[in-house]
Amino acid sequence: MSSDAVILQYENLTLAAGRTPVSGMLRAGEIKGLAGLEGHGQEQFLLALAGFDQPQGGTVRIRTAGEDFADYSSHHAAARHGVVYLPRDRRSTGIFPVLSVLDNFGIPSMPRFSLAGILNRGRQKEALAAYTDFLSIRYPSMTAPISALSGGNQQKVLLARLLALEPRVMLLNDPTRGVDLNTRLKFYEAFRQLARDKGIALVILSSEIEEILQICDTVSIFRDFERTEVIEKEAMTMSRVIAAMFGQNEVAL
Amino acid sequence: MNMILKHLTGNRALVAYAGVLLVFAVGAMLIPGFASLFSIRAMLILASLLAIAALGQTLVMILGGIDLSIPFVIGFANVVFASLYGGGMPAWVALAIVLAGAAMIGAFSGAISAALSIHPLIVTLGVGTVVQALVQIWTRGLPTGSAPPFINEFVSLGGSVGPLPFPWLIPFTLALTIATIFVLRRTIYGRKLYALGSNPKAAELALIRPVVMWAMTFSLSSIFAALAGIFLLGFTGSSSAGVGTPYLFQTVAAVVIGGTALIGGRGGFIGTIAGAIVLVELRTVLIGIGLSEAMVQSALGVLILLLVAAYGRDQHIRNLI
Amino acid sequence: MTARSESPGRLARFFAERQDTRLAALLFIVLLAANIWLNPARFMPHNWGSVLGLAAPLLLASLAITIPFLAGRGSIDVSVGPLLGLINVIIVKGLIMTADVTSPLVIVPAALLIGLASGVLNGFLAAILRIQPIVATLATYLIYAGLALAILPSPSGSAPAWLTALAGPWSILPIGLAALVWLFVKRLPYYDLLMATGSDDRAAFTAGVNVPGVRFAAYLLAGFFAGLAALSLTALIGSGDPNIGPGYTLIAIAAVALGGVSLAGGVGGMTAAFLGAADIFLLQSMLTAFNVSTFVLQMAYGAVLVLAVCLNSEKLKRHFKARAAPR
Repeated sequence: MSSDAVILQYENLTLAAGRTPVSGMLRAGEIKGLAGLEGHGQEQFLLALAGFDQPQGGTVRIRTAGEDFADYSSHHAAARHGVVYLPRDRRSTGIFPVLSVLDNFGIPSMPRFSLAGILNRGRQKEALAAYTDFLSIRYPSMTAPISALSGGNQQKVLLARLLALEPRVMLLNDPTRGVDLNTRLKFYEAFRQLARDKGIALVILSSEIEEILQICDTVSIFRDFERTEVIEKEAMTMSRVIAAMFGQNEVAL
Repeated sequence: MNMILKHLTGNRALVAYAGVLLVFAVGAMLIPGFASLFSIRAMLILASLLAIAALGQTLVMILGGIDLSIPFVIGFANVVFASLYGGGMPAWVALAIVLAGAAMIGAFSGAISAALSIHPLIVTLGVGTVVQALVQIWTRGLPTGSAPPFINEFVSLGGSVGPLPFPWLIPFTLALTIATIFVLRRTIYGRKLYALGSNPKAAELALIRPVVMWAMTFSLSSIFAALAGIFLLGFTGSSSAGVGTPYLFQTVAAVVIGGTALIGGRGGFIGTIAGAIVLVELRTVLIGIGLSEAMVQSALGVLILLLVAAYGRDQHIRNLI
Repeated sequence: MTARSESPGRLARFFAERQDTRLAALLFIVLLAANIWLNPARFMPHNWGSVLGLAAPLLLASLAITIPFLAGRGSIDVSVGPLLGLINVIIVKGLIMTADVTSPLVIVPAALLIGLASGVLNGFLAAILRIQPIVATLATYLIYAGLALAILPSPSGSAPAWLTALAGPWSILPIGLAALVWLFVKRLPYYDLLMATGSDDRAAFTAGVNVPGVRFAAYLLAGFFAGLAALSLTALIGSGDPNIGPGYTLIAIAAVALGGVSLAGGVGGMTAAFLGAADIFLLQSMLTAFNVSTFVLQMAYGAVLVLAVCLNSEKLKRHFKARAAPR
């Protein structure tokens, strides 16, 4: 697959009643940022791409093989097609607090590491070991409870969880929220590598504009449940993005 | 904090096994004949029946639910199997029909509890009541029939497995235990069960379908309750819709004494086995020291409170924040 | 859903505001109409006392069952049923038959005190000692049921005339007292703490609420109402019976679920409990008019319960609302 092939198309996603719908596409290897003031529709947009709560009439299509595209309207179907989602609140919707690191990593990807419903723990552990290297995750042992890990390492385990699904599109809801600086830099490096080497398209919703400036190719600005602006890499500056978030042309910082 | 918790959960089952030994020692001291082969065999059979009935309750509680329909399903299986077999149906066909019926009852309860977010306590209570009433209407309150000889033999006090002095029920329960532990630890279903019990919201995002899981798990609960009901038929000899009544409390107690918390995500079947044995031992001791049936019930209530207070307590609210 | 402010009349407002009890209220009206149509003589004003007397044990038991539910996080008191039976046999066997005490000045306080004592025990076990409420109260369920059978192995004895009058012309007394106590509780700051604890105990705790204390008091109140229910029950059956109590637990749980009390906590109250219990009672009364067997009656309870909680389900309502108003 060439790195600029369109892998996802979305049409007429209405983020709130009466607002202008959003349409567009994602290319392989693209890193798209989503920004906006809290609660201006960027999260709804991300969730719609992930297959949750899709608005009436809108469609999201993923390239299956060759020139074929398939619609999906649930997060299960999305994941089957390689579209995966990282939730925002790690503690309440991400981790399984009493379960081990291995289980926290492996729950959604179990079918890949099993035969007739019986898990092959060996292969699962190999996979985790590989992602542990890639993301430099630190944990006492694979059987230690996830809650024994630092927030950053928990987040890395959750990212590894998504990678084990062999995604083509990763939808990340504020992935570096509450994470230390080193982990953050590791994440940026990983995102770039995933986009460049594996052709994964990433959509990153972030509450930190600097982060978007650092890693995203484009940023879509959301205001009042509409996508008001799309800024390309060359034109991306802090003041430009903030101005767009507030619905103004430019602000002096 | 959670390391300690995990450690304690592991230990709770151990504590329960310590309880098994302790109660046995007390019984052997207080009651002549308590440690005899006959008495041990009887207790093992009763504990096996309870453990089978409590298997499903364990799964349901790992999920964070509770199944109050177990006694009603036991009664359903007991009466319907006896009637079908008594009416001339081959035992295996009757068995299949009863287990399939039970599976449907459980699947219904589980599915609507999860799909409509209704507390399973209410749903299983309502469904159980309906099931029991239907059975009673069907038999007009006068159940008939009996168990086929091979089931009598399977659970009989005088049964034997080759040279070993106990019926096939004992090795069957042992095999069932090993299978359950394997399923819980090494299968997709088992791990999903713990994940869903541990954090339902995260589980849904991690591609677990709660309605399917709940339907499957309650279905299993009903199937094992039905199995216990059929074995009870072989044990008691005649059918009765009320035969399951004591199992409502006893399954819950066995699971909790075994260290599975009702909040979900923790525990396992090894502990439940210990819980079942402790309960049967306690009952035997209380009857053995000459208490009336009514006082046995009261004393059992007190003892269970003491046991659970010793190691089965919840966390303080301040630790939940 | 917001109430339409222009809608006149208390009834209309009730239906607009009380979503949770709306179903039970509708059912109540339908069942009452059906009952009156089937058996007009029974529902004449001069019979109201005895009809209420018949319903009173269930109404009060349902109120007792409701209070712990309000406190949330699995709070439940399943021992209410056997407690009714235990108080009943203690009054009849212990006071009337053995000690020959028949004065209301002894019997009424005794019943309420035993109820409160049970509340203290359950509250201590479930709220202070933090044993899972269902396990704790199932254990006290066993204890009470066993004790009742040990005290009075088979039904016998009789109740004094003043007591049986509580199931006839004076049946309003226990119900009225319960209602007054509940209305009083609703005016206390405690009520707000109870509902706050039930809705979100963590937030309540963070805000400084003594969550275990609030839950403890909920069991205490449940015990008090169970004491009243036991008086009504003794009045109704006019004797001691160790077997009749335990059955009330399941029916009362069914009644409050029907009334719209949420087991998750923070939703419900006396209206919900009474409406749910009245529905069950009227259903029972209607089916008895058709001479159906107890089994059919039992099936009707179960079916109505499952159906009602399904229809009351928030998730279902949201689903239909989303269908009705596409955005």
